[in-house]
Amino acid sequence: MFQFDTLSIIFVGLILLGAVPNLFYSFGYLPHIERKIHYQVHYFAFILSMIGVVVAGNALVFLFFWELMSLTSWQLILTEAKSQETIKSARFYFFMTHFGFVFLLLFFLIVTDGNLEISFANMKNIATTFKYPTLLFFMLVFGFLSKAGAVPFHVWLPYAHPEAPSPVSAMMSGVMLKVAIYGFARFLFDVLYPWPLEWGIVVLVIGSISSLVGVLYALSEHDIKALLANHSIENIGIILIGFGMGMIFDSLGLETLSTFSFIAALFHTFNHMSFKSLLFMGAGSVLHQTHTKNMEKYGGLIKSMPITAITFLLAAISISALPPSNGFLSEWMIFQSMLGSSNITDMSLKLAIPFAIFALAMTGGLAIACFVKAYGITFLGLQRSKNAKHAHEVNFLMKLGMVLMSLVVISLMLFTPFYISWFDKTLVSLHHVSVYTKIFPNGIWNMHSVAVHGGVVSPLILLASLLGVTLLLFFGYKALHVKTRIHHTWGCGYKTSAKTQYTATGFAGPIRRFFNWLYKPNEHFHTEKIGQHETKFTDSNYEVHAKPLFEASLYESSKKLTNIASYWVYRLAHFEKTRYAAMIFNLMLLVLFSYRIFSHEFSWATFALESIVMIISIKVLIIGDKK
Amino acid sequence: MIFYITTIILLLLLAPILLSFIKSLKMLLLFKRPAPLLQGYKNFAKLMQKETIVSQETSSITTYAPFLVLSPLLVTMFFLPPIVHGAFYVSFVDAFTITGLISLSTFFLMLLGLDSASAFGGIGSSREAFISALVEPAMVLTVFSVSMMAGDLGIGQAGVNLAEHFPKEHMASFLFAGISFFILLVAENGRIPVDNPETHLELTMVHEAMILDLSGVYLAIIETAASVKFVIFASLFVSLFIPVGLEYSAPIAILIFIAKLFGVAIAVAILEVNTAKLRLFKVPNLLGISIVFAFLSLITFYVLGA
Repeated sequence: MFQFDTLSIIFVGLILLGAVPNLFYSFGYLPHIERKIHYQVHYFAFILSMIGVVVAGNALVFLFFWELMSLTSWQLILTEAKSQETIKSARFYFFMTHFGFVFLLLFFLIVTDGNLEISFANMKNIATTFKYPTLLFFMLVFGFLSKAGAVPFHVWLPYAHPEAPSPVSAMMSGVMLKVAIYGFARFLFDVLYPWPLEWGIVVLVIGSISSLVGVLYALSEHDIKALLANHSIENIGIILIGFGMGMIFDSLGLETLSTFSFIAALFHTFNHMSFKSLLFMGAGSVLHQTHTKNMEKYGGLIKSMPITAITFLLAAISISALPPSNGFLSEWMIFQSMLGSSNITDMSLKLAIPFAIFALAMTGGLAIACFVKAYGITFLGLQRSKNAKHAHEVNFLMKLGMVLMSLVVISLMLFTPFYISWFDKTLVSLHHVSVYTKIFPNGIWNMHSVAVHGGVVSPLILLASLLGVTLLLFFGYKALHVKTRIHHTWGCGYKTSAKTQYTATGFAGPIRRFFNWLYKPNEHFHTEKIGQHETKFTDSNYEVHAKPLFEASLYESSKKLTNIASYWVYRLAHFEKTRYAAMIFNLMLLVLFSYRIFSHEFSWATFALESIVMIISIKVLIIGDKK
Repeated sequence: MIFYITTIILLLLLAPILLSFIKSLKMLLLFKRPAPLLQGYKNFAKLMQKETIVSQETSSITTYAPFLVLSPLLVTMFFLPPIVHGAFYVSFVDAFTITGLISLSTFFLMLLGLDSASAFGGIGSSREAFISALVEPAMVLTVFSVSMMAGDLGIGQAGVNLAEHFPKEHMASFLFAGISFFILLVAENGRIPVDNPETHLELTMVHEAMILDLSGVYLAIIETAASVKFVIFASLFVSLFIPVGLEYSAPIAILIFIAKLFGVAIAVAILEVNTAKLRLFKVPNLLGISIVFAFLSLITFYVLGA
């Protein structure tokens, strides 16, 4: 019923690391929630169901906890259902999560032959006899990656995460998405192994696109929680890049590189859990004080909320993959695994992987821009609204939650070798080779890449030298006893005020303009001009909203298509009897014509003639005149 | 070890001179009376004596960020390839780490721009974020390509390998990578086609806009960081793409290295005199060229082996 192998245990560890700081934060947040009992019941059920998913030993238990996890998180989004928006987002989430569930159910029904209580090992025997394993793979992709938020199933994240109470968004984004990654890994390794090369490429492509799409939409976002939700899409993409590289290397027989890539993906899974939870907690504290999610109303919060600001800065550095943070280390590993692609002999694949490198590097650069924006606009400068002026530091429990989570971030940074040995053991238990001694050949100081000509990084030495040099400079400055004068910022002779600062919209302006073809933004520009003057105005307002491409194209168009189909079904159901008779006549014509075509000699002339007859008869008899 | 420390001190001492050299060479080429070579030192000394004016709108970021802008660059100085044969070099740092350290410095510089609550800081940060986001992929791809030709991703080892076994058979891809890296050198250091370091006009400023509200020692620190960044890029360029002169005895090798650095400075100065600053939205085209050259370098290496 339950199993506790190494893969389950590390994910239990991940959930606990994410949940314990969150508990404190959540209790600090509790006084502001009206439906306290409802919230607590679902909150604890949510945590327990996630643990249940990762330790489940058969399909029935797995599906039970999976569904419980979806339902409790759905109810948690509805905790503070004050607006129609929240209910709409929750409904969207409910739909998307059950879209995935259907595929999971199908997958399990096939690989268990209908007996949902058999163990995963037995499933493998049934799966190997199944004729179309790629079908099973795509069921996993639809089922798990729709929950994890990879493109093109990512559309629910920017709606669901902002509407949930902040501790829950931290939990959903930080931990629940990782449970989906667990499911994906678990059934790929346990049931569908060995993988054809194409599957790895599919995962790599999904990962590369997700990472770019996530960060680009994050940049155009002004709602701080939606921005972070979009960054979850990006980071899931990065995890999937590592995962996909691992699958590619595995199917090519490059075992050490494969293990290395999987370790990188697992490490990034942990890192993303830590910093994304911390970022959501920080955003939650800011939201809690200012009562708005709009970044344009923030500013200068570092002065009133120092602890939130410092922990947020730590997480921002980590998510931007800047050294010596843990985010940098896992991204470094993923880069190294992609550099291992020079060992591949298949030329077309070898030439394709630099594009994934390009996507990941571009993502890194844009993530830095995005977090400079998120941090700079939220915490620096002057307060842009009254609420921001009256903000003060959050209560003790919430602070404790954030500090504990930043300790998790720091521990991932400092104890990298320990975590990596843990991931290494996991992969050994999944029948991969061990690479720990290759990553850390001489002690824990230097981290080596297993690729030929690979690089080396030494996180601890880097951290120590950075700290050392900075402190040296700082105390050198102190020793100079420089005279300091306090004065206003120079504003070209005007008064420096909150309105003269750059806005979040303005900050992302150049990038938005460069990616205009993707964003297709809706712009609203309104000025109250004075008289006939072109340049003088009393009031001016500029708003821009990027149109989510996937939502607009994939989801809206499928909605339209369903509408058209349902219209025709409706028409069909309300035909007159003569029309039905005409349809039967046309059907007979079709049968006769096709019989002639298939059993006699085929000629284009008669085919064209018969088609025209068919079309005319359908048009005249069935469709009739347009009303 | 002695050469290692000498190199670092030498590079630190050379950093302000190189920027002043570019400036005076440009003035000479434009028939102006050139500024003295030691202008950088004079400015530094002047700024160190001034009082620091801190804006009251700023926060603790302004107090600490200037040190965090300079320190990653100073740490990078310790990881550069050796300039003398057999000298000590750090083997445990690779090109990605150096890219990351430079990004870390830029990250704090951009925060510094947003901290002063002035419109200029925002302009600068926003533009810098745009440019550095596009520099990143070109940098990583170039580094990838060079690492394969040099046979190592570690910067120190790569420099040594290139000097010992110059990849004549991969000349084409080596050249493409070199062009790509030179564009990055120009873009990352805010030289003319991308940013004009000499004007204070809001239409053109990138780097200057971010630091407009700094004064005194803080300004001196940021100026030092800018010159150190240039010397890092220049020495990476000469060690990786002009790997000659290491085989001579120490004094000659050092002289050759300095000559190469000045060669890069001359190239930058000539480029600056002969081109106009690009509009901000044309900069992606230039960086796009750099990305394309990096890809070309990889593809020629893989497909043609040339």
